[in-house]
Amino acid sequence: MNQPGILQVENLFVSYGAVRAVQDVSFSVKGGEIFGLLGPNGAGKTSTLSAVEGLLKPASGTITVAGYDLKKQPLYARANMGVQLQSTSFQPELKVKEIIQLYAGIYGVELSDQRLNNIFTEIKMEDAKDKKYSQLSGGQQQRVSLFIATIHDPQLVLLDEPTTGLDPQSRRQLWGRIESMREKGHGILLTTHSMEEAEAVCDNVAIIDHGRIIETGEPQVLIERYRNEPEVIKASRKGKVTLEDVFIGLTGRAIRS
Amino acid sequence: MQTTIQSPVKALSILLRYDFTTQWRNRRSVILVLLVPIIILISWKGAIDKIGPTFVLSTCISVGLTAIGLMGYANALARDRDKGVFQRLRVAPVPTWTIMISRLAVQLAMILLLTTIVFVVAYNQSNITLSPAGYLLTFIAAMVGGALYLGLGQMIAGLLKNAETVNSTSRLVYFVFIMVGMFGETGLLGEKLKEIVQWSPYGTVKAILSASMKPGTWDQHALTALVLTLVYAGIFSFLGIRLFKWNVK
Repeated sequence: MNQPGILQVENLFVSYGAVRAVQDVSFSVKGGEIFGLLGPNGAGKTSTLSAVEGLLKPASGTITVAGYDLKKQPLYARANMGVQLQSTSFQPELKVKEIIQLYAGIYGVELSDQRLNNIFTEIKMEDAKDKKYSQLSGGQQQRVSLFIATIHDPQLVLLDEPTTGLDPQSRRQLWGRIESMREKGHGILLTTHSMEEAEAVCDNVAIIDHGRIIETGEPQVLIERYRNEPEVIKASRKGKVTLEDVFIGLTGRAIRS
Repeated sequence: MQTTIQSPVKALSILLRYDFTTQWRNRRSVILVLLVPIIILISWKGAIDKIGPTFVLSTCISVGLTAIGLMGYANALARDRDKGVFQRLRVAPVPTWTIMISRLAVQLAMILLLTTIVFVVAYNQSNITLSPAGYLLTFIAAMVGGALYLGLGQMIAGLLKNAETVNSTSRLVYFVFIMVGMFGETGLLGEKLKEIVQWSPYGTVKAILSASMKPGTWDQHALTALVLTLVYAGIFSFLGIRLFKWNVK
């Protein structure tokens, strides 16, 4: 029997005026699963994610988070998701500990001083507690942002290109955190441009192009399915077919704006 | 797993706490907003006998309100929108209106602070006092006038997407309001402009402030000014809310 998804997206359509950015997209994310939404620039990844986050009103379709319909019970749906936006920021005047306290308050999480100190030790930022968010490095900002996204232990975690701009150490650490979330049973939906990372970390991926999901499945299964396709062979280098080759084979070589 | 949703009141109180902290950390810009009215108050000390204390006080408060709505509020909205601060809050389980109400509450507190400081400096510098009813009505008039300028600020942030454009436009509008308003109402720029200024947002706010300082002087003109102020505030706020986009990217 199929386990019901923590996130269920059904027949989602998103339009910007006459432009249909997302067309009939359906997928689900289960607990303990990392689901990657992959696609070239402008393919509809961020629009799909924004609709799931509640930042965009879909033209039609249903989105259910932990059993709550996003349209009918938006606050309950949002309370069950943790979001790390691609270009997000916090009030630059606030100190990091104040930002954490603000979001802990919003999500109804009790935070004692001791717990707050433990959090900073946990995210290896003991000396950044009293710094303002704008004074942190990119990696530190990402860590704070991810921590806040999961401060309320949500069932679903949404990450929009979480590793963009991070150095290899920070990226490795971030993937460690994401994998540990998976182990704890969180469902994770992420977008990334790094096919290498998606192949290594995602349990399932959906490749989206021109607003439609063109393929979905486990990375290795997709590689096996397409390894003999001429476009994929053409895209592959060094004789080894990767998820990136499948991606290029399916979405084309043309650079998107 | 239990789903926790804060009540709107609780969510608002949390947001208010940190919005006030943000405002407190922006002390320098707060001081700049308050400085211009105080400079006017002090530099016009010698002219108070000629032009009257209500004229001076209402000018100072009007200038301060313009700065709060245009420079403070509009720019803070545009900057936080540009940085994605609002988007981050909007994905949290709080009603969207609490985010905006919290911002407005901070600005209303600024209006009360401005009015209080003008009264205190006016008393210290020129021994100007009002009746208790005068103080109370002026605070209320300042809030109503402030609503007009906050609405105007909201409209500018709604019309323009880029934070830097909002910044430069709000400064330009501020400058035009102050210069044309202050000089226009004296008749220095001609009788026609004097008439226009009188019924402009600057003129109507100033009129209700002046009348509130001496409650006995409320007349048909002040009443019309009050109605117009409310109409302006309504139009600006309506357009500002309609046009405002939480995200410009």
